[in-house]
Amino acid sequence: MIVPAGTVLGLSAVLFGIGVFGFLARRNIILMLVSVEVMLNAVNVSLVGFSHHLGDARGQVLALFVIAVAAAEAGVGLGLVIALNRNKPGAAVADLTELKW
Amino acid sequence: MNFLTATFYYMAAASIVSALLAVTRRNPVHSMLWVLALFMHVAGIFLLLAAEFLAAVQVIVYAGAILIFYLFVVMLLDLPDEEARPRFGNHWPFAAAVGLSFAALAWVARIETPGHTRLAAEGAPLGSLAEVGMALFGPFALPFEIASLVLLAAIVGAVVIARRRPVQS
Repeated sequence: MIVPAGTVLGLSAVLFGIGVFGFLARRNIILMLVSVEVMLNAVNVSLVGFSHHLGDARGQVLALFVIAVAAAEAGVGLGLVIALNRNKPGAAVADLTELKW
Repeated sequence: MNFLTATFYYMAAASIVSALLAVTRRNPVHSMLWVLALFMHVAGIFLLLAAEFLAAVQVIVYAGAILIFYLFVVMLLDLPDEEARPRFGNHWPFAAAVGLSFAALAWVARIETPGHTRLAAEGAPLGSLAEVGMALFGPFALPFEIASLVLLAAIVGAVVIARRRPVQS
């Protein structure tokens, strides 16, 4: 045990909070997606911390699935960004009002 | 405090600082490079927590593939007024309050973490990578296949969404 599990979970909590702030506050859609990646990384830290603490490999397997989902999210999200950019240059979410009634 | 513990605290502090800089820098490319620093330090934390395979996957897949993909898109898109416009919406104090309260909630909740109990099957320790492999192709075989399906759907979906459609009248 290098550090107690609570320390790892605290780090995970702080990283997730930073990701939430970035997702809600940034106006650039690419940086919002990057903030989601920060949140997913925070979850991975917490899963690996539990895996280490409980001596169980299942946490690492779940973290692998989280990485797979993050890759899928990046692919679809950036495909959407490119498609949106074709209609309207720029990546500001405030400009995307076509679906707003 | 021994060397490994000090290393962990350095990695934790560096990842928090790089995450903060990543979500607050004005230039998107700078943000991406700070996220790269965050991913590398998180990989170091994985190493310290005896998850060597996951550290390698973090560097190869996250830093090597996903982040480079983001960088490609940032550099391909023309974002001329990105540095001129405000980087946060007007509601950013609200966003900061939400982030802080979530972090505080998780910080309080972590105190309830149960004590050390070894749940793994008894027997000779396999080592991290072998244990992950046995779990991945044993009890997690079906979710593993479903993950490949998710990735396939994402590939096809990204191609369909980003394709240039012929103009219809």
